[in-house]
Amino acid sequence: MSSLLVLIATLPLMTALACLLHPRGGDQLSLVASMIQLVASVLLVTELPSRSSLSHALGGWAPGLGIALGADPLAGWLVLLCALVQFATTLYARFYFCDSQARYRLWPLWWLLASALYALLLSGDLFNLYVTLELLGLSAAALCTVGAAKAEALEAALRYLLLGLIGSLLYLAGVALVYAEYGTLDVSALRTLISSSPASLASLVLLSSGLMIKCALVPLHFWLPAAHSSAPAPVSAVLSALVVKVAFYLLLRLWFELFTPVVTSAFATLIGLLGAIAVIWGSWQAFRATRLKLLAAYSTLSQMGYLFMFVPIVMALPEGDTRQFAYGALLLLAVSHGIAKAALFMGIGSLQQHLGHDEIDRLGGSARKLPVTLFAISLAGVALVGLPPSGAFLAKWALISSSLVSGQWWWMLVTLVGTLLAAAYLVRVLGAAFAPTAAAEPALPTCRLALQQPALLLAVLATFGLGFAASPVWDTLSLSPPEVQR
Amino acid sequence: MMLWWVVDLTLCALMIALAAGSLFAATLRRRVIFFIAFGLLTAIVWARLQAPDLALAEAAIGAGLTGALLLAALPTAQPTEHKRDADRLIEWVSLLLAALLAVVLIAVLTTLLPVVDGDPSLAVTARLSDAGVSHPVTAVLLNFRAWDTLLELAVLLCATIGVLNLAPARKAPRHAGALADTLIRILLPLLILTAGYLLWNGAFAPGGAFQAGAVLAAATVVLHLGGGVRLPPFSLAQLRGLLALGLLLFLSVGLVQLAFGQALLQYPLAWAGSLILLIETGATLSIATMLSLVYLGGHPLRDWPVAGDSRDREI
Repeated sequence: MSSLLVLIATLPLMTALACLLHPRGGDQLSLVASMIQLVASVLLVTELPSRSSLSHALGGWAPGLGIALGADPLAGWLVLLCALVQFATTLYARFYFCDSQARYRLWPLWWLLASALYALLLSGDLFNLYVTLELLGLSAAALCTVGAAKAEALEAALRYLLLGLIGSLLYLAGVALVYAEYGTLDVSALRTLISSSPASLASLVLLSSGLMIKCALVPLHFWLPAAHSSAPAPVSAVLSALVVKVAFYLLLRLWFELFTPVVTSAFATLIGLLGAIAVIWGSWQAFRATRLKLLAAYSTLSQMGYLFMFVPIVMALPEGDTRQFAYGALLLLAVSHGIAKAALFMGIGSLQQHLGHDEIDRLGGSARKLPVTLFAISLAGVALVGLPPSGAFLAKWALISSSLVSGQWWWMLVTLVGTLLAAAYLVRVLGAAFAPTAAAEPALPTCRLALQQPALLLAVLATFGLGFAASPVWDTLSLSPPEVQR
Repeated sequence: MMLWWVVDLTLCALMIALAAGSLFAATLRRRVIFFIAFGLLTAIVWARLQAPDLALAEAAIGAGLTGALLLAALPTAQPTEHKRDADRLIEWVSLLLAALLAVVLIAVLTTLLPVVDGDPSLAVTARLSDAGVSHPVTAVLLNFRAWDTLLELAVLLCATIGVLNLAPARKAPRHAGALADTLIRILLPLLILTAGYLLWNGAFAPGGAFQAGAVLAAATVVLHLGGGVRLPPFSLAQLRGLLALGLLLFLSVGLVQLAFGQALLQYPLAWAGSLILLIETGATLSIATMLSLVYLGGHPLRDWPVAGDSRDREI
């Protein structure tokens, strides 16, 4: 069923062009396209039995000379994550931007961003991945300025763009080194080719640091809070849930599949250490934030930190079932954060639209006015903190026990502190929102309230869906890494 | 032999000097001019490295259009630079880091020597007869790795829409005079002819859509700088159509092949040459439009992307 791959890769591009050519039809086109994409992604995941992969040689040329689109279960599940979040946020964005001119400007860029996400997930070629990263960075920065962009939003978008470009350039330099040494860009061929050498090490460092800028790992994180918190809510949701996540996906591919002979345990520990700093620092800043969106952006910083912190744990485990189990947990955590963070940002967007601001101290009484949204925010919070029955709870539990198995108990302490801080900053928001109204503030219904259901849908999925249905996701995910396709 | 060594060493020294100039010259304007010179020299270096396609692209886009863009973006009033100590520190630290990175990279590159131009280019040469064009670079860009080029067009489109969304176009600077207008009347047909030549040439020699599009965009830059001669009026729908044309043709041609049971972007051999020319023609027009709009710095018509009407602010 390789035509599914073609559909998933080209439909967003076609939609972007259609929305550009026929702006007035953009709302309907986007909704229909995101539904088709969701169905196609579900089909893709069900078509991918464990330990197998699909591929489609573009132009009929063998990979190496040409480029192939491909998907294994890992890519498949992330495609589904993208399609799911994209569907919910598209529905949400339709009503969030009440000015139709803003929506005309939004949709082509929105779908170009989607094209970049899917093309990246389906690509099996290092240079092609660079092109998708370029498209991703450019469209993400351009999307930050849609709507009533203020000067600070423009500045944040510009900084986001420039840092994204630096990241892409570092990545490109790494690709050039790989090509110079091994003479191919095809990822599946490189799996067996790459060995330990000075050039391999240099390219690993270049590729990793380029992508780590895009993931906003401390100390390369400084662009993220401003960019993610000043963008319009639907855009923030996609940026925090998906854009940083696919960069992390590429890093996982590099570290666990391509550069395995080059990645040492010291390298992994360094990554874990940076992740641990991100967990503590991000949570602390989120706790101190005065605005909701800034809180959510710092929370993304700390949640990405967890993903990096668990890398050395997974790597220290012996190859085999225990390692696959932990790898599956890591990916479950990533997926769970993606869904929950999108829900959180959409909920915050609704609050902001209703109250006219997003200051935490002035939230009083909002729970009474927007019960659905507050429920969604609470559920998303459950998944972000990692309370049962969420998928994040299972994943964190599995990873902490793995850290004890591999004798690296110190990561557990960081997890505990981070989790407590996360609980603290979310309780702070809920406490403020459930407090009675401080003063009679006039509500500012600038336009019809953005839909509250998409946020609820994702929040329920993150907490209950991924919690109770974790095992199928986990099984296929944990089966996918290194052994396949050797 | 000896002579080439002298040439190469001079090129290297000049490159470093111009790079330093574009970073450290006294005013912003001078830095930009150094940067344009740097771009031109890079084009020469590519030519010396026997990469004429890159040289053409670098000269047209790197030096030409980027230069015009940077000059246009210069603030009219020279801002006085107040450098704080912290800024200077950051400057020095980043310079040090960059130098360190350069040294490490050079050291790593020496471990790769001698670089053999082996399997990859052999594979391209071996399949060149099936590509529909005889120039290997065009074969790679439009056939073997067409998906890359298609996505690159999307990147350009994205950048253009991003610029258009932000603001209306800048006012044209008036350097107009009788001389300038005469010059434009001579230059314009020549530029269009060159663009057409580069486009046609791409099938068997250096050239192609990106270079042709850049030259065509240079024609609109020249028009814009003049002021006496104007583009014919065009509508918003036409503008959107021109923007989408290249990507739309590329994608449609690729998707049509699916109906015949081929892979995405798999051209039938008999048609490959013509299809590539068709795609490149569309791409040239789109690229020229996009680059011109980016140079103009915004949407040239009153509204974007839809003619504004107050009825539209519903929900």
